[in-house]
Amino acid sequence: MRSLFVLSLLCLSSVHGQSSRTWTVGMSQCNLGEPWRVQMNADIRRAADDHPELTVMFKDAQNDNLRQRAHIEEFLRAGVDAILVSPKEAAPLTGVVRDAYRKGIPVIVLDRRVLGEDYTCFIGADNRKIGRALGKWLVQRLGGKGKIVELKGLMTSTPGQDRHAGFREGIKGSELEVIFEADMKWLEPNARKEMESALARFSRIDAVYAHNDPAAHGAWLAARAAGREQEMLFVGVDALPHEGQVYVRQGILAASFEYPTGGKEAVETVLRVLRGEKVPKEITLLSRVFTRENVEQGGEELE
Amino acid sequence: MAFIPDWWRDFHRRFPGTAQAGLALAVVLLAGAFFHAEGSFFEWGTHRDMLRQVSVYGILACGMTLVIIAGGIDLSVGSVLALCGVLFSLGVIHWGWPGWLAAAMTLGVGALCGAASGIATAHFRVQPFIATLAMMVFARGMAKLVSGGQKVSTAIQGADGSYEYVPTPASFEILNARILGDNIAIVTIVFLLCAIVCWFLLSRTVLGRRLYAIGGNEEAAWLSGIPVKSSKVLAYGLSGLLCAVAGMCQAGQELQGDPEAGAAYELTAIAMVVIGGTTLRGGKGSVGLTVIGVLIIGSLEKILSINAVGEETRLMLTGVIIIVAVMFGKR
Repeated sequence: MRSLFVLSLLCLSSVHGQSSRTWTVGMSQCNLGEPWRVQMNADIRRAADDHPELTVMFKDAQNDNLRQRAHIEEFLRAGVDAILVSPKEAAPLTGVVRDAYRKGIPVIVLDRRVLGEDYTCFIGADNRKIGRALGKWLVQRLGGKGKIVELKGLMTSTPGQDRHAGFREGIKGSELEVIFEADMKWLEPNARKEMESALARFSRIDAVYAHNDPAAHGAWLAARAAGREQEMLFVGVDALPHEGQVYVRQGILAASFEYPTGGKEAVETVLRVLRGEKVPKEITLLSRVFTRENVEQGGEELE
Repeated sequence: MAFIPDWWRDFHRRFPGTAQAGLALAVVLLAGAFFHAEGSFFEWGTHRDMLRQVSVYGILACGMTLVIIAGGIDLSVGSVLALCGVLFSLGVIHWGWPGWLAAAMTLGVGALCGAASGIATAHFRVQPFIATLAMMVFARGMAKLVSGGQKVSTAIQGADGSYEYVPTPASFEILNARILGDNIAIVTIVFLLCAIVCWFLLSRTVLGRRLYAIGGNEEAAWLSGIPVKSSKVLAYGLSGLLCAVAGMCQAGQELQGDPEAGAAYELTAIAMVVIGGTTLRGGKGSVGLTVIGVLIIGSLEKILSINAVGEETRLMLTGVIIIVAVMFGKR
């Protein structure tokens, strides 16, 4: 009887101890100039709001490797319990991530990798897979045949390269033909300009594949100004709730393929680590496709 | 040289630099006629689209010309454009203001931003490069603040995360339209109007003469009784005002206000001014030359674009052409 009492007391105290335990987590974002990264921070904030025991400190490195390194050092000095980081580049940030990890501070790396194995968990999506799925979707949608305009992001950036290469793999073997391709540097005005050139040169275009949704929107504006927006399908990548998903709802894009931010998964993972649970070294995020038919139901998961 | 006709010499004296800039434009157009991309270059639609695409840059370049002739520089134009685009979009979409009221507010904010840089330069002797650099950073921050870091579009997010769709405001549709039998974009007309107003200001008004004098020799201008400070503030204020016009045109064409819009636009605007033949040292140049510079860069980009030339080649070619055109213009 007595032992039972002690046991229940222990249980109580441990439960009590857990609920009063609070954690501070530092989040270092490489830049907030891109809407996608603004969304990632918003997703983290929303997920963290459901956990009062978790406080997240946000820092924006404004696209500067050394500033981001300094931010992580500041987190270490401030004695945070864990670090979330979406690095600008791998090499310059590997060292400071390793230092933190070896000091026993869990580090969750988001979207872009660091070198080596000295981090707790990497969470990211696969651009190549998304490009491939998009290519296959377009082949199916166009009946295996058609003339395509590809508006590429920056071909010196990995997302641009992967979204391009994956797409080419996806349409391989079909009669889909890319008749015009141009770099639009992820920017809508550039995409509109390049699309105008494509429209001037080709009297028939069946689909436009843009590496991000704003570019697909810019292409649609160009086609609409030429009175040709009904002639072709517009497909983009990212599917941010206030961007791509809205364009799909408005009937501008035929589809948008999500490039998930992983903000929610990051918060879930960091909580598991802090509670002492084991987490996998790598989490590959599942992507969803949003079309006119399924956008109201929250899209459909890709295999 | 006796074989040069009088009218030609007269033309040179009255419009210095115009012949050189015109020749550079002719060379670019000739290249276009050669690399015509299956005849696309010979269609008016191609040039109409080029003119639409350069209009926003052109409006910025007009304001930039005023500032550069007065011996200054305005690095803040891209950021002020973004701030004004966002404010205009908020006005007509979120706050339901009539177009004229939103436009008046936007023009006011743009002019204020410009005048603030002008006051820092003229009254507090901050170098124009630094003063406008500060404004560039400040205006970008403010654009992000007022927009909440998101594009201001016709999809308005409610507190519960759901979206409400409002129709595209009439002012956006107007700015995104074409007139004269679908042959010219409204924004191109706006650009031409801005160019005419700036040309008039520079060549037909007292303020214009003062700006040339200040750019030529600020101390001499001050000694001869020209109100240097207020003229400079006016030049920067006008540049800010034109940023607001450009910002509204940008938002109208994108059907949304983007706080990230206009990044590095200041560099393109400066390049357009300089390629036309206006010197960065101040005191020399004209808006007419800037318009030619705008056409040179616009046509060049269009030719590269219709031929689907890769980004690497484009950047290198643009660099070569800027330097050749400027060296050529010095003759």
